[in-house]
Amino acid sequence: MERRIYFIAGDFISNGIMGMTTALLATRIVDQTWEMFPAMLAGMGIGMGFSMILMPIFVGLFGAMEVMLPVMLTAMLTGMVFAMADTMLGLTVINIMLGGVLTGILVLLLTYAANLILRSKNL
Amino acid sequence: MDESTKRKWDFSSSFYDLLAYGPERRWAPCKRDLFTNMNGKVLFVAIGTGQDIPFFPPGKDIVGIDISPRMLTKAKIRAAEYDGSLDLKVMDIHAMESSDHSFDQVVTSCTFCSVPNPVAGLSALRRVLKLGGMLYMFEHTGSSVFPFNLMLNIMTPIWKPIGPEMNRDTVANVEKAGFEILQVNNVYLDVVKTITARSPA
Repeated sequence: MERRIYFIAGDFISNGIMGMTTALLATRIVDQTWEMFPAMLAGMGIGMGFSMILMPIFVGLFGAMEVMLPVMLTAMLTGMVFAMADTMLGLTVINIMLGGVLTGILVLLLTYAANLILRSKNL
Repeated sequence: MDESTKRKWDFSSSFYDLLAYGPERRWAPCKRDLFTNMNGKVLFVAIGTGQDIPFFPPGKDIVGIDISPRMLTKAKIRAAEYDGSLDLKVMDIHAMESSDHSFDQVVTSCTFCSVPNPVAGLSALRRVLKLGGMLYMFEHTGSSVFPFNLMLNIMTPIWKPIGPEMNRDTVANVEKAGFEILQVNNVYLDVVKTITARSPA
């Protein structure tokens, strides 16, 4: 398990920023005129595409797979959830930004938990 | 020589160190630990720009190979700092000039995500490795766990033109090449791992 502050902070910063920016981007593209299901798919695609642009910066600074996997998962999930939610609820910018950051952190914590489990399964 | 692979890594050499700053520092403790096993005449495969050289234990006898001359040009600067014997050669793993059973150990580091034909490449390593010789690998592989396997499958076609494949089953490939797996240690999820294997005597 990673214990160095630089990399732990990097994980939180990467996922927080990715979650926030993806949520903002997805809700700028998708609006309340969209049906829920196409909005969800579009949000996921937006997240995936956007993560490819932002990810090299985080990878270069904080690590490869340890950054790529949670960040891409954050982007896809955030894009999907917030695009879908925006079609129904019409979220405020503050709610979108906060929700994006929290989703990123939640994904990261779940990835940490998965890492603990999988690392214990050595041959 | 596989010219398309050579061109790909020659091209990547211009930005490789920039992208490797974070990963190399993150993986440094684990790589240092793995490389303490180096003993005898060691073949280090795909040494790249030499990012791993500072993690080598001092006083070893190492031959580092890479398919990309431009990568090796950068590696030479780091190799000059190494306190031991480190000989760098441009070589394609699929067409290695080394004679049979000429190395005591083979060490790889993020290599078999990129070798075009991994089983053939590993078989070539078995040929140059002494009978009973050890293979130490630090590799990233595909995952067997959802959603990580999905992510890696999506990323592979995007990254492949300029870098590695993300979804390979390297442990299975090592076995297919005839090595005896001694240990697989997950470093991150079931994706980044160290593999210790032996060429059967």
